[in-house]
Amino acid sequence: MIHLQNITKVYRTKTIETTALNNIDLDVPKGQFLSIMGPSGCGKSTLLNIIGLLDEPSNGMIKVDGKQITNYTSRATAKFRNEKLGFIFQSFHLIPDLNVIDNVELPLLYRSISSKKRKQMAAEALESVGLANRKHHFPSQLSGGQKQRVAIARAIVGKPEIILADEPTGNLDSVMGDEVMEILNKLNKDFGTTIIMVTHDERMAKKTDRLVRLYDGTQVA
Amino acid sequence: MGRRKFFTFISLFGISFTLGILMVILSFLQSELGANKPLTKKDDFVLISHLALKKTHFDTIINIDTIFEKGIAVYDSTFDYKKSGTSMTQSNFSHKLIKNYFNDLPSAEMYTAFNDDTTSDLYIDGVKLSLSTMFADENYWNVFDHEISAPVIVLSSKTAQEYFGQVTNVVGKEIEIEEKTYEVIGVFKHLGKFVPFASPDAVLPYSLEPTNSYSTFYFGSYEAMLVKTKNSSSKDLKEEIVEASKKIPIDHPDNEYNYNEPEVIPTTYMEGFAQNIYYDKDPEKSYRFAKWIVLSILIFFILLPTLNLINLNTSRILDRSSEIGVRKAFGAHQGNIIYQFIVENIVQTFIGGILGLGLAVLIIKILNNGGYLGDARLVLYPKFFIYSFLATLFFGILSGFLPALRMSKLQIVKALKDAKI
Repeated sequence: MIHLQNITKVYRTKTIETTALNNIDLDVPKGQFLSIMGPSGCGKSTLLNIIGLLDEPSNGMIKVDGKQITNYTSRATAKFRNEKLGFIFQSFHLIPDLNVIDNVELPLLYRSISSKKRKQMAAEALESVGLANRKHHFPSQLSGGQKQRVAIARAIVGKPEIILADEPTGNLDSVMGDEVMEILNKLNKDFGTTIIMVTHDERMAKKTDRLVRLYDGTQVA
Repeated sequence: MGRRKFFTFISLFGISFTLGILMVILSFLQSELGANKPLTKKDDFVLISHLALKKTHFDTIINIDTIFEKGIAVYDSTFDYKKSGTSMTQSNFSHKLIKNYFNDLPSAEMYTAFNDDTTSDLYIDGVKLSLSTMFADENYWNVFDHEISAPVIVLSSKTAQEYFGQVTNVVGKEIEIEEKTYEVIGVFKHLGKFVPFASPDAVLPYSLEPTNSYSTFYFGSYEAMLVKTKNSSSKDLKEEIVEASKKIPIDHPDNEYNYNEPEVIPTTYMEGFAQNIYYDKDPEKSYRFAKWIVLSILIFFILLPTLNLINLNTSRILDRSSEIGVRKAFGAHQGNIIYQFIVENIVQTFIGGILGLGLAVLIIKILNNGGYLGDARLVLYPKFFIYSFLATLFFGILSGFLPALRMSKLQIVKALKDAKI
């Protein structure tokens, strides 16, 4: 489903050039739960950002479902992110001014969906992560685990084919981390959602279908 | 808006204060320059205030050049008869001249000749009171529509109050001015402020002007205000005035210095006003220049807080960079982000607009009740609210658009890295 070929990312300043990713080739079949591991600064998040079109590679090509997405216009890229991808971040990135249900329906705002339908879809997503009773709370009123579950609901509300999770359990204790992993696994098994997860936690990585290791921007396993 | 209370307060304060003051300024300009009594016909006015008599001098100019022909100096002289200078005298018109040459212009509906440059003394209980008296013809009351309480007027209400201690029941009474006794035949409302040609303390028939007043065939102390007809333009009337002025004879014995060219430069009311701000011999040029000055001041007045708002909005939006990052990650494109911030700014401007309207009403009430502008009454016209609001809305959108445009181009990764949420 996802095909990465020779992905390279180089950060350049006036005096220094840093290679964050070096010729990464990766194929992720549809429905696979893949985890990426490696030490800090090895390029895990950079790779995830590039797959999610949040960042551009310096070189290389990405294909999703056979279509090359690296040459999309910015509007087409936005549409692709909106329809195909869902993001889960380590620090949740919920919008504090919005209550839980408004946060969850955010991806739907950029589709032609009525307000009523949006609310209904957001409520269903919240129910699937066990937070139906927290709809009108604000992020500041939730625990870390609840915030991450809201973030998962936001990632899945648009029924994306791919979920990109950047250390989704990194800010959670082990119990909450396990809860989050359980939800992700359920998504993967029940709906066949392709998930790529960056993690530091070997225990979490073992719960996924496949593990890719990076070291200094190079794929080592 | 609720999360960043300080930013919101400053923004709303800026918008409402700008809007409020703008409405007060416009109300003041309307009160001073609008077509209000006694200047209801002001837009149809064309003023002639001065007659200039000019004389162009010609002289023979001799040029002597030295040239060399075969090494020998040869003098080559040329003679030219050309303009060597201009002399001029100018003053107000004599009453007769206005009556004879400007009373029957096709584009003029009516005219009045008046002299508003006279100061007369009268005494109340031995205390001298200087009055600004005007000598005018009866048409003065048709051209300037003062609020009157009798068909023919002599005293302003202010003078009546000062002299008789009352404004009503003074018609028929006598008043002594410059040792002459006059009968009061009416009272007109004093404006409480200076309005050119329309705020004398007393108006006397021009026939009562003292016989020792300076007057020649050409010059005197009179100006005339002509009112154009509904179907003509000020330009038509001005052209007719210029044409009529060319018919003023130059062979009258009063033309002692043989001036050969009479010149009258008519001005509209607003051009005359503009010449006080910036004088140019061409009144239209004065008007254009003055208009730009006033307009520039108004724009500057709005632009200054707008620049502040842009700055403030940039900080406010920068503070929300992570939100922009999240929205873009979930599918918002540049247009969505710009739209969102502009809508927020419009909502803010609407709230500021309502507060500004309240502020303007309050300031106008304070100014009117406190009498800080004399008897001038400021009125808040709905059109000024609409104009001011549209101007504020435009600059409000602009102040939101520029930072939103900048922020919408923000890289998602960078926005999320700087995240505060």
